[in-house]
Formats: sequence, C-alpha cells, structure tokens
Amino acid sequence: MYSGERPRSVHYLLLLPVLALLGLFLASVALLFSNAFSGGGGFSLQYFQQILDRTDYQIVFLRTFVASVAIAVIATVLSYPVAMLLWRADRWRNLLLIVVLIPWLVSLVIRTYGWIVLLGPKGVINGMLQWLGLLDQPVRLMFNDTGLVIGLVHVLMPFAVISILSSLLTIEDNLEEASRVLGARPWQTLTRIVLPLSLPGAFTALIVIFLASMGAIVTPILLGGVSQKFVGTQIYQEVMYAFNMNKAAAWALCLLVVSLLGLLALKAIERRVLRNHEQGART
Amino acid sequence: MSERDTETHAGAAGAVDIRGVSKHYGDVGVLRDVSVCVPPGTFLTLLGPSGCGKTTLLRLIAGFTEPSSGAIAIDGRDVAGVPTQNRPIGMVFQNLALFPHYSVAQNVAYGLKLRRIPAGETARRVERFMDLVGLAGYGERRISQLSGGQKQRVALARSLVLEPSILLLDEPLSALDQQLRRQLQFALKDIQRKLGTTFVFVTHDQEEATLMSDVIVVMNAGRIQQVGSPGEIYQNPQNLFVSRFVGEINEMPCEVVRAGGGELEVRTPAGGLTLPAAAARGFAPAAGAAGVLCIRPEQLHVRADAAARLPGMVSMPGSLVEELDLGPVRRTTVAVAGRHLRSLTVGGEAARMGRAGAPCAVLLRPQDLRLYESADARQAG
Repeated sequence: MYSGERPRSVHYLLLLPVLALLGLFLASVALLFSNAFSGGGGFSLQYFQQILDRTDYQIVFLRTFVASVAIAVIATVLSYPVAMLLWRADRWRNLLLIVVLIPWLVSLVIRTYGWIVLLGPKGVINGMLQWLGLLDQPVRLMFNDTGLVIGLVHVLMPFAVISILSSLLTIEDNLEEASRVLGARPWQTLTRIVLPLSLPGAFTALIVIFLASMGAIVTPILLGGVSQKFVGTQIYQEVMYAFNMNKAAAWALCLLVVSLLGLLALKAIERRVLRNHEQGART
Repeated sequence: MSERDTETHAGAAGAVDIRGVSKHYGDVGVLRDVSVCVPPGTFLTLLGPSGCGKTTLLRLIAGFTEPSSGAIAIDGRDVAGVPTQNRPIGMVFQNLALFPHYSVAQNVAYGLKLRRIPAGETARRVERFMDLVGLAGYGERRISQLSGGQKQRVALARSLVLEPSILLLDEPLSALDQQLRRQLQFALKDIQRKLGTTFVFVTHDQEEATLMSDVIVVMNAGRIQQVGSPGEIYQNPQNLFVSRFVGEINEMPCEVVRAGGGELEVRTPAGGLTLPAAAARGFAPAAGAAGVLCIRPEQLHVRADAAARLPGMVSMPGSLVEELDLGPVRRTTVAVAGRHLRSLTVGGEAARMGRAGAPCAVLLRPQDLRLYESADARQAG
C-alpha cells in the first residue's frame, strides 16, 4: 500500500471481480479437461485416439505448425524494414505507428473480405495480371495455403513491427556513430550492431505470431477455405457443426501441446542466439 | 599557433586545421567563423558552457555533419565529403557508446575486425591496449559487469587500438564522481603523453581543462573567445567572458576619465584609479568610455586596519562581509562601494579579522587590473 498502511479487510472486497473471473476461467479449463478425457462414463482417451490415429488429422497438425512457423518468419522479416523506418522517423514515428495499427481498427472479418476482393479468381490482382497479358487463366491465390499465409501475415504483422521497434528503441544513442568512427560502413553497422541488438524484439515477434496463428480461426476459414484444414477451423467445425464438445476439447488440448512444443523450441533457439546479450538489452 | 607552426605540421599525422568553419541549422548559427590549428601530439581542449558549439565542432571533425562553410583538414588533407569511417580519427562519446552485446575484448577488437586484421595480431594489439588503459585480464567481462571508470577505459582502448591520428573526446568524464574523475584525468593525460596522439577534448569544466590541456580553446556562442595555454588563459584573459568563465574574478564598473601617455585614469564607485594603458583588453579606451575593471581574488589583499598601506598598491576602504576557511586557503568577502569582492589568501590559520561589518582596507596592484569594454559585458553576461 502506497500510504504505508496495512490493507483493511474491506479492501479485499475489491479483489472479488478478479476472483470471479479467475474462477470462471479455471472452471472452463477444468471442463475442457473433463470433456477431453471423458467417454463411456469414465476416464478415457478415446477422443485423443480418434484424432491421433487418423493420418489426415496428423497432416492438419503438421500443416498448421509449418504454416504458423512460415507466417511468423515472413511477418517478422517483412516487419523489419517497417520497424527500421519508424525507428528512424523521429518526428513522424507516432503518426506512422498509427498507420501501422489502423488495420486493427477494422473488424477482422471485413479485413479478410478485403483480401478476398484482392486475391479472388475475379479479384483485383488476377484482373490486373490478365489485363497486362501476363496470365491467361486466373491463378489460385486463395482457398489455399497462399491465401492463408498472406491473410495471417497481414493480420499479425503489427505485433512484429511494435515488438521490433521497441527493441530498436532500447539501442543506446551513439552506438551507430561509434561503429562508424571505428571504421564500419553502414551495412556493417547494421549487421554487427543494429540487427543483433534488435534480435530480442524479433524473437518476441516470432513467438507471439507463431502462437497467434496456431490458434487462428477466422482467416483460415475465409481465405484458406474449408478443404484446407487448420487446427483452429477443425475445432470450430467440431463445436459449431458436429456439436462434439468432447472431441473439440481433445483437439484443443492437442493444439495446446503442439503450440507449447513450438514455443519451447523457439525459446531454446532464442537462448542460443542471444547468449551474448546483456540482460539489459532484452525487451 | 603561428603561421610557421601551421606550415610545419600541415602534413604530419595528428594535425587538425580548421579554417573559417561555420555551421548553421536553418537560421540558427551554431558555429561562426571558427579557425583553430591543432599541432600534432597536442592535448587540446575545447572549453565553453553548454550550447557554445564545442560538441558541434567535434562532430564536424568526426564527419557526422559537414560545415556550412569553411574547411577542415586532418593530417594536411581536406576531409570535406570524406565519410566518418575513412577519417583517421577515434572518438570517445559522452555516453561511451560501448556495444552491450560484446565482451570487453570484443569491443576493443571491433575496429580491428572491420579492418580484417589477422586474429593473432588482433589478440596481441587488444591485449597491449587493454594493458595500456589498465584493464589487463578484463577481456572476458561483460560490459554490464564493469564500473563507470572501467567503462571509460574500455571506450578509450577501443578507439586507441586503431592508432588514430586524432582522438576526439566528448565530455567523457562528466558522469563520474569527483575522485574517480580526477584519477582518470591524470590517466588520460598520461596515456596521451605516452602515445603522442593528438587529443581534442571537449569539456565545460575549466578546472578539468586547466589540469589536462596543452592548449585551451575557450568558446562561447559559436565563436572562439581565446586560444592559449592554461596559464595564458588564466593570467591574461582576452575578454570579460573568458575572465568570468576561467577561474574566479572580481568586477567593478568604471568610466574612463583620461587616456593617454601610457596611462588610463578611471573613475569607479570606490574612487579614482590610475592604471597602465596595457590593462585595457580588446578595445582602445577613450575618455568617457564605460568599462569593467577585473581582478583575480588572489590579487586582492585585505587588511583589518582600514589605514593599512602596502608599497606599490592602492587602497580602497571596505567592510568585512565574511571569512571562510577552505582548507589551504581563506576566502574573504568584503563590500567595497556596495559591491562584494572576494580575496583568496593561502594559509587559513592566520588570525581572523573580526566580525561582519568591521571596516577594512582592500589593497591591489594597479597593473593586476584588466579593463574590458562594457558593451562586451552586456554581450557576455
């Protein structure tokens, strides 16, 4: 307590809403577990067996994992130039940051439909390419992995921009100048000083985007199509169409485990790459 | 720095020649027609209050910005348009700018690696310069494990290992406590003497400048006020700004009554004085001109006996304000014609003069007085 007083018992009442939320959350997690492990009136692994035994389901997990890694890497790499621009733009930084974040002000569904307008068989990109005579037939840019990756990269990129920018902003003044005085050309300063010192932000971006796209639902449904199954869309189908809560719960727990494995792998890579970093340079 | 010096050193490693350099940012003039010649092997200090342009001048030498007009030559070569990384300079920054993701040895080796010096040679040179700055055995440490003083030494070694002709230092000691600062001042001077590298050091601390420099360049408001050895600057300040900025000074306004015959007669609130014509600095006083008389505290003598006289000195009546014993010296403040004047005397153990308000005599040698133009006072003040 900032006043130095001991909290009075009445103050603890303020914790009630938080405790209620926490209780609700824990109850749902418990429900999730009991749903997943139930069956035949007792404990059972039948739903997990139903999922793990099927090759097509294993492929769904693999696709989700690989696509998520790809999305994380692509979004992080594409975000670097944007973050560097914002970092350099001292006076315009806040304005440009708003521009980066504007997509978040638009509903996810509307944004995704925007991509359909661009990527569809009769969409802007195909129309343009055909008009230029570069294509005879429209190429499939959506309802496949391409559309899904484009859509999720777009949705998740602002996370990467912010995370990399925050890392760049922790770089002490004059480090670049010091590097120049010591004889470094601009690209040497970039590769030896700026990039290494912004890596903590890049890893944060990779992890956040990987996890977010592992659990994505709306974008995979609208841009990936029903045939291109994603773990998120599978769970959505089990809940909304098959009404199989037990199987959905088992799916969710499998997703949790796969995501966790991915997270641990990324953390291990991060530790290896950043073993030279000072504690203070981390974000 | 005579013309002859300039010619002799023009091509030698370690010479910096700054000619008529001005720097404007939009309408704001940061440097105005600055010319300095730094002979090789000099410890030169740019001294001035913050905002006087000293750091800008350093950054121009480093090549971070280009002058709006004028020319800079390093080692006799015009460096206009030469990028920083190709100038034969090193720089120690105010915040040191050490690379936090490298160890101490990696920081020191950074420039050598960029130059593709073989690993064995790099290791030898790193070791030699770590030794020189007193950090032998610290190579594996992380930057965050070092104390402030050790970081200074790493920054120094990182620059010196490349054996630059000129090392630029931008107030590198300002963040340190007094004791460590003093220690590093001596260390810096010592290293400079050993290597014979030209050091251009920026500071706002006149004591630091006096302690370390061969040559001090006093700057104010984008202009050079005076160039000289620490002794010259202190003994013979060329204008009121320099007298005020370097060391303590007593001031008394006056009006010139008569000028001529190698003498000046002035009227002050404390009475009339006659001084040698050479006392006037930076202007030729004519009768009726307003001026400011200045004298250093150690040149003022205070006596408890209001009638006291000393040979060759003039006396002014005053009253005691306070006496402070500052270890080796005593600082006496007296009021003369309503103005507080300070006197410093060595030997604080002498008997005190009495209580505040006691009448006393203030004695001074007329030839110790300096006379500056009062318009100058308005500008500098």
